[in-house]
Amino acid sequence: MIDPPAARRPRRLPGVSTTGRQVVVFADPDGEAVDWSAAGITDVADSRDFTSGRVPAQALRQAGATVFARLGIAVVDAAPDQVSALRSARRPVLSVSPELVHRVLPEDPSAYVRGYRDGVTDLAGRLGSSGPGEGTAPPPPLFEDTPAATWGVQAVQATTSPFTGRGIRVAVLDTGLDLAHPDFAGRPVTAESFVTGVDSAQDGHGHGTHCTGTACGPRVPPAGPRYGVASEAEVFAGKVLSDEGSGDDGGILAGIDWAVANGCAVISMSLGADVAEAHPPYSAAGRRALQQGSLIVAAAGNNADRENGDPGFVGAPANSVEIMAVGALTSALTTAWFSARSLPTPGGEVDLAAPGVDVLSTWPMPTRYETISGTSMATPHVAGLAALWAEATGRRGLELWATLTQASRRLGEPSVDVGSGLALAPQEGAGTA
Amino acid sequence: MGSPLARFSVTVDDGHLADLDAVARALRDSGMQVDRVLGTLGLITGQAPADARSTLLAVEGVTSVDEQLRVQLPPPDAPVQ
Repeated sequence: MIDPPAARRPRRLPGVSTTGRQVVVFADPDGEAVDWSAAGITDVADSRDFTSGRVPAQALRQAGATVFARLGIAVVDAAPDQVSALRSARRPVLSVSPELVHRVLPEDPSAYVRGYRDGVTDLAGRLGSSGPGEGTAPPPPLFEDTPAATWGVQAVQATTSPFTGRGIRVAVLDTGLDLAHPDFAGRPVTAESFVTGVDSAQDGHGHGTHCTGTACGPRVPPAGPRYGVASEAEVFAGKVLSDEGSGDDGGILAGIDWAVANGCAVISMSLGADVAEAHPPYSAAGRRALQQGSLIVAAAGNNADRENGDPGFVGAPANSVEIMAVGALTSALTTAWFSARSLPTPGGEVDLAAPGVDVLSTWPMPTRYETISGTSMATPHVAGLAALWAEATGRRGLELWATLTQASRRLGEPSVDVGSGLALAPQEGAGTA
Repeated sequence: MGSPLARFSVTVDDGHLADLDAVARALRDSGMQVDRVLGTLGLITGQAPADARSTLLAVEGVTSVDEQLRVQLPPPDAPVQ
């Protein structure tokens, strides 16, 4: 039974009126019958007793209690103390709240004035003058690297999450992994090469090792700050790009096929081609992966040059409807200058954003660590977070996708650049509701 | 002489996912060198003459034939990856 203490209740705004009735939420819909007589209520209207389950307004006004069976919710015409007698009944009560009176939202007469002011401010900005409140200096960083953790894993709140990705398989399809890297010593790693003529998934470039570190690096690295999100996820390193950093559909699709067949809940792809049209094979692969419980997360692309007025566009495969596109943020949580903007076509939108500027992660030995930037670095942050949510909630596929976007922190940046905002890690208690 | 070979990705429709091998055979008969049959995704990749796209598209169970895209990362020392 959950009875939030008064102190935790949200402050009620002045002017909110109530009807005197109580709204009761039961633990699970359609469970055991409720003993209304315990609360002294006899006149009960149940939605199951009416044709097509619709309770007429007349009945709702007159009944002592109206039960919406499909929702597990009842509206009760009784005082709160009377309703509390239900708490000792067999069917658990989750909450009792006063019924609120809702009204059509009033028109806002100040909107016109605000619109006019914004128009003037915008015009002043375009004319190059420094109007009121307008600064040319970049906003200050909100996060910074510390001896304990990179700014990125702090920003996505991985450092305060109790979840580690344990039991979740994460595939990183890239240039492979430095299989002898000390930061992955003792971790279960399944590695496979899909590059023609290359037998080992050993990374001879560095990009794949960097991305794998961000997605799955250890909670406490043997040296330096924490940089990885899903520290206990099972790593599937698929080499689909050569040591020269190149690859084509054949190897990439084979890598996706391998990851899905192995039950990877998350597939991270920090790769792309600068084409504005969705590529049908990636759309089919994304759709069939989702159906089998695998979420593909891909880099939006680095083809923007925002300082020179070019916002770029989301490339393939991230511009497929069925594949999640990730943009890059600075440590001030602004859009990175290179991070691609949404296309107006379906699937061409940036779905989420994550840290992608000055990101420290693993690099092939003996270098060990490197700090680089790109939507390639933002993508594995989201992949690691997806693994944490998969562990916390048990959700997969489209449900996992929805959870990630729902749980993201909205930003002041345009949605065409950052989608639903900054992806965040599940915190204590997530997934138990 | 025939046109030079190009790399293609062939998408198989939902109704033929159980018959991927048969679709792959038909693609071979239509001149495609099949590299991979991806059973989990319902995709077939390989090479064929660049002008063979419409011939491959006519194979029963095929819903899309697309020239493969090529990905190229910047060099390892590039600041933006």
